[in-house]
Amino acid sequence: MATKTWRFDAERVLPWLLPITILVSWQTLAQIGWITSRTMPAPLDVVKAGIAVASSGELWQHLLVSTRRALTGLAIGGSIGFVLGLITGLSRLGESLLDSTIQMIRNIPLLAIIPLVILWFGIDEGGKIFLVSLSVFFPLYINTYHGLRSVDKGLIEMGGVYGLSRWGLFRQVILPGALPSILVGLRLSLGYMWLFLVVAETIASSEGIGYMTMNAREFLQTDVVVLGITIYALLGIVSDQLATQLERRWLKWHAGYRVA
Amino acid sequence: MDINITEINELETASTGRRGVGVHAENINKQFGVRHVLRDLDLSIRPGEFVAIVGHSGCGKSTLLRLLAGLDQASSGHLDLDGKPLQGINPDVRIMFQDSRLLPWRTVIENVGLGLEGDWRSAAQNALKQVGLADRAHEWPAALSGGQRQRVALARALVHEPRLLLLDEPLGALDALTRIEMQRLIERLWLDKGFTALLVTHDVPEAIALADRVVLIEHGAITLDQKINLPRRRERGTAEFAKLEGLVLSRVMGIEEVVSKNQFKGKISAILSDDPVLSSVLVETEHGTVTATISTRSIAEYGFEVGSEVLALVKANKVEMAIPR
Repeated sequence: MATKTWRFDAERVLPWLLPITILVSWQTLAQIGWITSRTMPAPLDVVKAGIAVASSGELWQHLLVSTRRALTGLAIGGSIGFVLGLITGLSRLGESLLDSTIQMIRNIPLLAIIPLVILWFGIDEGGKIFLVSLSVFFPLYINTYHGLRSVDKGLIEMGGVYGLSRWGLFRQVILPGALPSILVGLRLSLGYMWLFLVVAETIASSEGIGYMTMNAREFLQTDVVVLGITIYALLGIVSDQLATQLERRWLKWHAGYRVA
Repeated sequence: MDINITEINELETASTGRRGVGVHAENINKQFGVRHVLRDLDLSIRPGEFVAIVGHSGCGKSTLLRLLAGLDQASSGHLDLDGKPLQGINPDVRIMFQDSRLLPWRTVIENVGLGLEGDWRSAAQNALKQVGLADRAHEWPAALSGGQRQRVALARALVHEPRLLLLDEPLGALDALTRIEMQRLIERLWLDKGFTALLVTHDVPEAIALADRVVLIEHGAITLDQKINLPRRRERGTAEFAKLEGLVLSRVMGIEEVVSKNQFKGKISAILSDDPVLSSVLVETEHGTVTATISTRSIAEYGFEVGSEVLALVKANKVEMAIPR
C-alpha cells in the first residue's frame, strides 16, 4: 500500500521536476552573475516586474487591449471561415466556386503581406485585427469544410430514410458529425490568433502586451520583456484550456474526449 | 382491403391497426453505368409475408432492397406498394442496415426517437422495451455491444410502425449466439405486428428459420422461389429444416453455372481461421495450392474441413469454392 501511494505521488511530482530544476538553476546562475540581467533576467526579477506593472494598473490595460484585439479578430475571421466552410462543405456548387480560390490564398505566407497591411490600414487597430482575422480564418475554414465532407455517408442516408428534413439532417446529423473537426480548427485558430497578435503588436502599436514588451526593450528592461513573453504563453494555455473544455462539453459522446 | 390477411398470417395482429403492405415489382432493371445489376426482375410479396433473399455478394439483392427503400431509382420497371407506385422515401417503409447507423452523439433513446414528433419519448421508450433495452435508454451507443446496437436500430425502425420492414443483412456482423437471439426477436416482433418483411441475407439457415419464402437472386434475376412450410418457431435440427437447407444451399452453391475452365478439383489441405470473420482455406490442386478467402461462418455452414473434396473456382482475382457433385 505504501509503495502504491509513493508511486502515485511520483507520477504527480515527476513532470514538475525538470521545470523546477531549470528555474532554480537559472535563478542561481543569475544571482552569482554567470548570466547577466542584460541577457536574461532572473526569474524572481520577472516576478517583481510583474508585480510592479500589475499594481500600477499598466499591465491590465495592456492585457485588456490585447485580449480585445485577439477576440475581435477571432470573431470576424472565425465566423467568416466557419460560414465559408459551411458553404463549401455543404454544397458542391459552393465548393467548385470557392474552394480552389481559398486554397490558393492559403498558400500565401501571411507574414509576407504585412507591408501591404500596413499600407492599407496604417498602423491602426484595423491592421492588427485584419492580420488576426486572416490567421484564424484558414484553420477554421479548412476544418469545417473537411469535417462536413467526412461525415459518415451512411448516417446521412439513414437520416433521410428516417424522415429528417434538410434542416433536421444538418442539425442532427451533419453538424454534430463535423463538430470534432471544427473544434480542432478552433483550437488551431486560437494558437494562430495569439501568434499573429504578437507579430502585429510588435510591428507598431501604442498599447497592448506587444507594445509593453517592445517598449521595455528600448530601455533594456529584460525582465519586462520576459514578463511579456510569459503572459503570451499563459494566454495561449488559457485559450487551449477553453478549447479543451468545449470539446469535453460538446463531444462527451466521443470516447476520445471523455474525462476518465 | 385486407380480407385475406388472416389466411396468410394466422396469428393475431390486433396489437396494431397498421398491417403489412403488399409489394409488387415488375420488370425491374437497374444499371450502374455499364453494370447491369438487376435484370427484368419480378417479385410479388403478399401483405404480412416474410420473404428472405439470398444470393452471392454482388448478385443485386441489396440493390433491390435499396430500390424498395427509395434510396435508389430503378432504371426501368414498376414498383408498387399496395398498388401505388413507390416514389422516393416512403414513411411506411423502414430499412435496417448491416451496420446499425446509430448517431454516436445521441443517446440510445434519442436515436430511437429520431425523426419522430410530438411525444416521442414514450414511444421510443416503449420500442426499447420491446427489444429488451429499456434500461440502456440513456447510454451512448458506443457503450453497447454490436448485438445491442442492432437491437436499438430495430427499435428505431419499429417505432415508426412500418408496414414494410427491409432488413439488409442486419445480423451479418454478429456472433452466432447473438444472431439466433436476434432472429427470434425479429420473428416475434413480426408475428406481433404483422408488417411485411424482406430480409437480405447470405446465411441460408437464417433465411429458412425466418421466412415464408426464400428467394434466390443470381446475376440480377430470381432463379429460385422456395416456399418454407415449416411450423414456427422453427427448430434447426429437424430433418425438414435440413432438407430445405440442403435444397437452397445446393442452388446457392450450384456448380452448374460455373465456367468449367476456371475450376480445379482439389482437397482442402489447411484451414487458417485466425480471424473471427474471414478465414483462409488452402486447397491442394493438381496445379499447386490455391488460397480461398471465405467467411469463417461459411466453413461450418458448408462443412468444409481438412481433407474435403472441393472445387476451387477462380473468379477475377479471387478463389471461391464449391462442393463437387
